[in-house]
Amino acid sequence: MAVKFFGQFLVEQGAISREALLKAIELQESVNKSIGDIAIEMGLMTQADVEQVNLAQRSEDLRFGDLAVKMGFLTSEALQKALQKQSESHLYIGKAIVMTGGLDAEQIDQYLAAFKADQSLYATDRVLLPSELKHQPLWEMMADLSYKMLTRVARLTFRPVPCEIVKRLEDFHIIAAMDFTGDVRCRYVFSASEEVQTQVAKAILSQEEVSHEPKEVLDDTVMEFINVVCGNIAAKSVQQGIALDILPPELLTSEGGIDIPAGYTGLNFPICLADGKASITIIIYP
Amino acid sequence: MKKVLLVDDSISVARQLEKILVESGDFQVVGQGKNGLDAIKMFQTLHPDIICMDMNMPGMDGITALRTLMSLDKTVKVVMITSLGGVGDKFNEAIKLGAMNVISKPFEAENVLKILRGL
Repeated sequence: MAVKFFGQFLVEQGAISREALLKAIELQESVNKSIGDIAIEMGLMTQADVEQVNLAQRSEDLRFGDLAVKMGFLTSEALQKALQKQSESHLYIGKAIVMTGGLDAEQIDQYLAAFKADQSLYATDRVLLPSELKHQPLWEMMADLSYKMLTRVARLTFRPVPCEIVKRLEDFHIIAAMDFTGDVRCRYVFSASEEVQTQVAKAILSQEEVSHEPKEVLDDTVMEFINVVCGNIAAKSVQQGIALDILPPELLTSEGGIDIPAGYTGLNFPICLADGKASITIIIYP
Repeated sequence: MKKVLLVDDSISVARQLEKILVESGDFQVVGQGKNGLDAIKMFQTLHPDIICMDMNMPGMDGITALRTLMSLDKTVKVVMITSLGGVGDKFNEAIKLGAMNVISKPFEAENVLKILRGL
């Protein structure tokens, strides 16, 4: 019941052992090359150029190819050629498992079909955003996966309200946040009324009654809920070619709302419920 | 009965896991830690058969703790239970370091029990 990748699905299903997967990963890693190595092979960059880009990546939040173009080591056309070569020679985990004897081709096809059916629950539906933004599909996926998790994990029945750009986070009973780092930087914020927090707590704790639970536990369930949502967003973003990592969740204190700093973009997705209200806000860093 | 150490900064996850394991009758929860450092200290004093550990925790994270645990005792059985399980690089890193399995959150009780019983 989560966003997974194929190798993980196979081990979880008991289709292959951890050792068999490790063998396939080792083969994959010996065959699949980085863009830097491919650029060297194609005579587009030297080892020294690649090292300079790797060094620059420590202080600049860009992918290798984009940074190499920015630094003048590659033209956009040359990068496209290198990316195409990388894509054509890529060894997928399923094929690597067959090559290392973990499963045969027919078994892989059967498990792949089962995997696709399992993951179809998390296929991204279109979410309308108020304006054209960089990384548009990422924000759409974040909102869509949040809606799906609100239904499946928090067991809430709700109606999403169209997204709006906001300069301020509204005051709520509880506001929990998680930061994304990696290829894109943003903060994920989930704000909920007391009624919604109670529903989330019941679902996370698998209990019918939570009124006796201390505030610490109720607050923790909201943080755990966004931890699950954001971890699954990070998994899904890899499928879009964007590497994201998450920091632990935290609670924000709000008295009368929280201003979104100048230069940051606040994408707000209000959620309408029969009992209570909630909101998902993605604060995009400049 | 196998002894299990739970390590997760979330009280609600630790409670959920404890309930699943205790109700199964096959496992005894011998301790609960909140970060990687707790995992290392509690492993040395409680000697659990299995450690169920989160990846994303404040202070020392689960991957760092896993690396240290494996250097202390290569036979320790660690299962990572994490919302980051679906991130290929994280999964591969945990398996390479020696984790027996990686379970994604949200998890299902039957799946957790099936994996832990198989260790």
